[in-house]
Amino acid sequence: MSSLSAAPAGALAPPRPNPPALSFRNVTHRYGNRIALDRLDLDVPRGEVLALLGPNGAGKSTTISALLGLVRPQEGRVEVLGCDPRQAVSAGRVGAMLQSGSGIGLPPGVRVDEALRLVRRLYSRPAPREQIVERANIGSLLQRRTDRLSGGQAQRVRFAIAIAGNPDIVFLDEPTSAMDVESRQGFWRMMRAFGDEGRTVLFATHHLAEADEIADRVVVLNHGRVVADGPGATLKAAVATRRLRFVADQPDRAQLSELDGVTEVGVCGTGVSIDSMDADATIRDLVVRGVMFRDLEVTGAGLEQAFVALTRCGAEEAGRSREIASAGTVGADGS
Amino acid sequence: MTELSIALPSGPDHQEGPIPPDLTLRSDWRSRLRPLLAFGRFEVGRLLRSWRFLAITVGFPVIFYILFLGDHTAGKVVDNTVPWRVYLMVSMCSFGALVAALNAAGTRLSMERASGWARQLRVTPLPAWSYVATKVVASMLVVLPVIVLVEAVGAGFGDVRLAMTTWVGLTVLLWATSLPFAVLGVFIGFLVAPEAAFPVVTGLMFVLGYFGGLFTPVDQMPGSLQFVAHLIPSYHQVSLALAAVDGHTLALSHWLILGGCVAILGLAIVWKHRLEEARGVA
Repeated sequence: MSSLSAAPAGALAPPRPNPPALSFRNVTHRYGNRIALDRLDLDVPRGEVLALLGPNGAGKSTTISALLGLVRPQEGRVEVLGCDPRQAVSAGRVGAMLQSGSGIGLPPGVRVDEALRLVRRLYSRPAPREQIVERANIGSLLQRRTDRLSGGQAQRVRFAIAIAGNPDIVFLDEPTSAMDVESRQGFWRMMRAFGDEGRTVLFATHHLAEADEIADRVVVLNHGRVVADGPGATLKAAVATRRLRFVADQPDRAQLSELDGVTEVGVCGTGVSIDSMDADATIRDLVVRGVMFRDLEVTGAGLEQAFVALTRCGAEEAGRSREIASAGTVGADGS
Repeated sequence: MTELSIALPSGPDHQEGPIPPDLTLRSDWRSRLRPLLAFGRFEVGRLLRSWRFLAITVGFPVIFYILFLGDHTAGKVVDNTVPWRVYLMVSMCSFGALVAALNAAGTRLSMERASGWARQLRVTPLPAWSYVATKVVASMLVVLPVIVLVEAVGAGFGDVRLAMTTWVGLTVLLWATSLPFAVLGVFIGFLVAPEAAFPVVTGLMFVLGYFGGLFTPVDQMPGSLQFVAHLIPSYHQVSLALAAVDGHTLALSHWLILGGCVAILGLAIVWKHRLEEARGVA
């Protein structure tokens, strides 16, 4: 169900001369009994701005931790620029803005410019100071103490620290979670501008709009697996997906599949579950075709179903649609 | 890394093909040392500009010393050989080192870990071991002036007269034997939540000070407390320092116990770190 079929380059025999920015090969990691990454496969080419989307506990933070070498997965292989993640970190090729939990992720009791100066000195080829200040828009904050910043200001400073080493790759773990709408918009522009310089950006989020607006590509994680993978531009259409459920005496799967707007059909006895990109049109068509239905229920299809639909916008594969259809039926119980 | 550089040596003939990422660290010692020095300077500078830290670190030993000086009875002797006034100065040096080391690392480190700053540093090129090492070194660096200050009070007001070589030897000895306190400070920072760190540090200052025989000489304590004192680094530090002043041999057992404390606390820090790494919260 993952995106590997869309990235046949991954099948090339090693050693790959020009490695992708990031790569996961069959990576599994557990915390005790809880599975965080479940045979994850993912390739991210250089220069891509990628959003990792998924609910809490989907494995987004573990993915980023593994890419930074903070977590060593029990199985599989993680590479950054074709090397071990820790090597990429010590060589100063990556920058990161991690989730800081309750804290601000900055050293207490110092001014912003002191923290920035320290971090620049930790790298052998740091970005010019003025450039960092301008990009992260922290010119007015330099003389402030780090413990006197608002949530949005602290996030800008942390972004400055993430890009201070002039990294090729930046990881951002839910960077806008503590921001108001306005600072969030500003932050998106910063992230996008950074990606437009040909750098690789991977950010985790649970804001659909955020993923849609700035990412070249959106990967949806759930239970540590890639459940959907596709370009960000088609996201909005996919999110419009609705799920229709009703009872019909003799549901005809072939007929139902031909209804307007339908992307998925699941039939279980007399129960029918249909995913549609245009629920109104589908219902009109049901009536026009004389399908006898009762107990109709229309719901938002949910994130996962939305992204299943999203991936189907690409090349169709015969075997795959059946797999998705069955997955959709299973998912219907929970939604 | 070696694998990479063997497979793809840098040379003009490789410029045409895909260029491998330059993941090799510049291996000269200067460029390796630069981040460490920058971080060390940052840490020490931060300590020396913290008024709260300076007030506690300088205030406690000096005020205690002056208070105890009022209690000073001429001719009183500790352990039959050491004059009371020398014992008092040495034990206040030890107390000063304890206060400085615990306050330098404990509270701050706990806060930095909770705020995510410690984790942020781990995703920079700063080597993983250097965070803890720098904390210990920074603590040791602020301990030295505190020892010298208390000695100056002793020479100025405490009626302590020693030969110059003895002063130097005593200072170096007290400084070196403060290492267990520096490591203990870091360990507390690793173990205790930020809200609890300050009370724990303050409590430990007095518990270790009292039971280590810094406020009352150990041989004047009841027998059971004397046994406890022998487990505490302060006692062994003071014993070594008094032996040095007196020109006695520095008993190996004191060094072994101090070294043992450093080793145990060091292992405890590594263990805590490993535990967090396995849980994915490091």
